[in-house]
Amino acid sequence: MICAIKAEALSSGVISEIKMANREAGITEQIADLQGLIAQGVDAIVFAPVDPEALNAVIEEGAAQGIIMVSVDSRVTTEAAYVVSNDQVAYGANGAKWLFEQLGGEGKVVYMRGIDGVGADTDRDIGFQAELEKNPGIEVVEEVFTDWSPATGAQQALEIMNSTEFDGIWTSGIDYTVVPQFEVAGVDYKPVVGADNNEFLRQISDLEDEGFIGAAVTNPPAIGGVGTAIAIDLLKGNSHPQQTILDPAVFDMANNSEDVKQMYIPTLDVGSSSYIEIEPWTTYDAQQVIDCKGPGE
Amino acid sequence: MTAISSSEALGGSQLRDWLRHHGWTLGVWLLLGALVVWYSTLVPSFGGFELSLIVNNSLPIAFLALGQAVIVIAGGIDLGVGSMMVLTNVVAAKYMEGESFAVAILIAVVLIAAAAILNGIVGWIINVSKVPDIVITLATLFIFAGFALAILPSPGGGAPGRFRWLFTGSESGIGRNAWPAIIMLALATQVVGLWLVKTRNGLSLYALGSDPTAAYLSGVRNSKAKILSYAIGGGLAAMAGLATTALTGSGSPRLSIASTATLNSVAAIVLGGIALTGGIGSVVGASGAAIVLFILNPILTARGVDPNSARVIQGLLIIFVLMIAGVLEQRRQRRS
Repeated sequence: MICAIKAEALSSGVISEIKMANREAGITEQIADLQGLIAQGVDAIVFAPVDPEALNAVIEEGAAQGIIMVSVDSRVTTEAAYVVSNDQVAYGANGAKWLFEQLGGEGKVVYMRGIDGVGADTDRDIGFQAELEKNPGIEVVEEVFTDWSPATGAQQALEIMNSTEFDGIWTSGIDYTVVPQFEVAGVDYKPVVGADNNEFLRQISDLEDEGFIGAAVTNPPAIGGVGTAIAIDLLKGNSHPQQTILDPAVFDMANNSEDVKQMYIPTLDVGSSSYIEIEPWTTYDAQQVIDCKGPGE
Repeated sequence: MTAISSSEALGGSQLRDWLRHHGWTLGVWLLLGALVVWYSTLVPSFGGFELSLIVNNSLPIAFLALGQAVIVIAGGIDLGVGSMMVLTNVVAAKYMEGESFAVAILIAVVLIAAAAILNGIVGWIINVSKVPDIVITLATLFIFAGFALAILPSPGGGAPGRFRWLFTGSESGIGRNAWPAIIMLALATQVVGLWLVKTRNGLSLYALGSDPTAAYLSGVRNSKAKILSYAIGGGLAAMAGLATTALTGSGSPRLSIASTATLNSVAAIVLGGIALTGGIGSVVGASGAAIVLFILNPILTARGVDPNSARVIQGLLIIFVLMIAGVLEQRRQRRS
């Protein structure tokens, strides 16, 4: 996220400096950080909100001071912010649809969610439940919150594999640590839905011969780059709709094996998203994001 | 500061004496003053918005530091204060939503009392069981956070605008009026500080913290002092939770918030000059140190310091300050 923002600012050539505030933020910290950035007199603030409503007052304050406020990744309810988000309802639905199709509309599914109460998780659940309703043969046998922590997800997956019979796993992006647990638990591979994590894409293509089927649903943190591109465009005086919604795509070996192989970047971290260049928005190339250098660095 | 009245007609020796007792507290507030001045040079303009940014957002951690201070002065330590804050935050946010100001105040008073009783029971358990404070309160850190999750499974709730104004000077939580927060903090610090040094019960906490045996022999009922310290600490943690509710207008039941807040409260009292061994220090220093810890965030952001390094810098600052304290203490002992 941060690297995409830096890279987009750098490649735009018109941004002189980026100030970053990032703590393991609860609502309290994020409100304080946004206030701090407003006090800095910056021109635009790109942020990933932790709550859809609690930040509204500070966002409106920033907008009232003439700062362009761009909320990326999750939505906020105030119209004072430009919202750039992945369609999380579609994220939940597209992955679920793929999984239920793999199972022929019948089977037991493990449902590994994100953080309870966070907008993206709630929206994904709406999409997931809608698909579930269309498939009466599908039963959710386990539902857990991974808190989007790879370690937690791995542990939960292992416990479930050891104790429960199931036919497939839907994960909210905690995927690449779940896949190795099949081998640890000594059970056969079952279809797994995950996100565009680099290591997961490798697993999808490398483990195909061993019988593993997976699907990567795109949820690019490079959306920060998209938000930055829009903020810069707005600063130049152009106009944008208040909402920009990216539609998540599904990649698997059956339909787009070339893309899956191409998206894997060996030099990138396992947990990083490898879906980096987002057309038509971003202007950087993937290497600039990997370098993670902003203007003046 | 509490002791200025005692330094009337300062003679040289009296001044030295005053500095020996309050030098640390003075130093913390001077450091804070310097940081505020520094910060004001880092922003295009320094006014009500910037001031309320600092004071409002310091409130939760400052209240928590006050509570931790009282407990540590009495020789204990409470790792559960952060969870008590989160618990109060979610109960307040859940039940204040859509209510009138009067009902919100009623809920607040009930919550402070309930938190005091609940934490007083924790103090009682520590006393009876003889299990170290750190073990019992590590358990309450998880238990109270669990209660919070059970009461409000996902973030939400609300608080009436006038209640939010009480802590933030604005009905939306964001504004330019820092006075309510300043008065709130000054009042709490003064009341707790004066109670500690001017009343029998307050002094019994210092006595218990510096030497339990001596305290007992001089007529302090140690169990009562212990329970009292935890009860007051709990009540102040509830104030921190109410401040959080006012600041955010919602409740978040997350353990990570609780544990971070607990660690910050300990950092604040250590920086504020309160000895972890008990019996020494002033709450005035602790509340100043809480603001110091907060203001580092916007300063480091303004200086363009990488957020990850910012944490390292905060940690190093605490170690650095403690080393200075150690050197000063050694010099003092050698002289006397």
